[in-house]
Amino acid sequence: MNSIINHNLGGGNNPMKPLAFTWIAIFEDGTKIEQFNSEGIENRFQLVKDKFDKLVFFNLTNKEGKLFIVNLREGLIGYNDLVMSYRKSEEEKGNIRLIFFRNHKVEITENCIEKSHIINYHLGFQYNNKLGNNRQIVLIIDEEGNWYLEG
Amino acid sequence: MSAVHHFCESNGAGEVETQDIANLNFGSNDSANLNTITYPITRGNASFEKYICCLFTGTWTEISNMKFWKSLGDYVTGEACKAAANVAYATPSATPNADSDIPVIVGSALSLQSAEGASTITFGSGVSGYTKYVRLQLRTTGSTPAGSVNTKTYTFQFDEV
Repeated sequence: MNSIINHNLGGGNNPMKPLAFTWIAIFEDGTKIEQFNSEGIENRFQLVKDKFDKLVFFNLTNKEGKLFIVNLREGLIGYNDLVMSYRKSEEEKGNIRLIFFRNHKVEITENCIEKSHIINYHLGFQYNNKLGNNRQIVLIIDEEGNWYLEG
Repeated sequence: MSAVHHFCESNGAGEVETQDIANLNFGSNDSANLNTITYPITRGNASFEKYICCLFTGTWTEISNMKFWKSLGDYVTGEACKAAANVAYATPSATPNADSDIPVIVGSALSLQSAEGASTITFGSGVSGYTKYVRLQLRTTGSTPAGSVNTKTYTFQFDEV
């Protein structure tokens, strides 16, 4: 028999897929780090991690003007002008820490390297409540800016 | 723009790597980008094993939660795809190995480690940006019908920042 599991990964199997959303980190002294600087050079997220304890806001924005804001002082998430209401939003929060990553799902098949490449943005924070329990509030945002609250 | 992934295949006794492979054809030869017309699998035999890994370049800080599974593509009679994750490289063989069926849902997907053996690849000195190998092998039996098998879709998932 002739196996044709022919995952044509040609044309470079690693296209640099443009990101729908980019981040801006704002620190307590008012300084900010943008994912792409004014010259278009991408900054590593490590620069933000290095100053996590001074991070006040972490924003995701796209070209259409959709804006997600994580307020790491108060433990709030905003979408454009809306401050989201969620379960336990009024709970006393301590040790608030950013959660942010991109989840990539790459399908490879025979006719092209990438049958699909879906990126979902996971954005939110975790904190400890007054009992010391760890809680997470995380939005999952697709590339069009549609979102839902995880869990 | 963030992490860039390169699928790679290694072949031969000397572990010769091909980056940005053009296909993942299984066949009766130990080579990357092989032509199945030239190297068909004789019914009842196994393909040569394929050692596949992923190299991340671009701008990233951490890669984690790397999973691999077969998400689409029905088997024909007697056909199976075997897989194992995080294996050490060995010269690919066409002898049927002891690997398990490749997972077909994300819940049981193969979890990949970095080449250095960590569950998270953290950018920095001494970190190659490679995953460990996934070893794949296609099996057939005497009842497998002649001709092409159904095409398959594999999914590679990872978290990145």
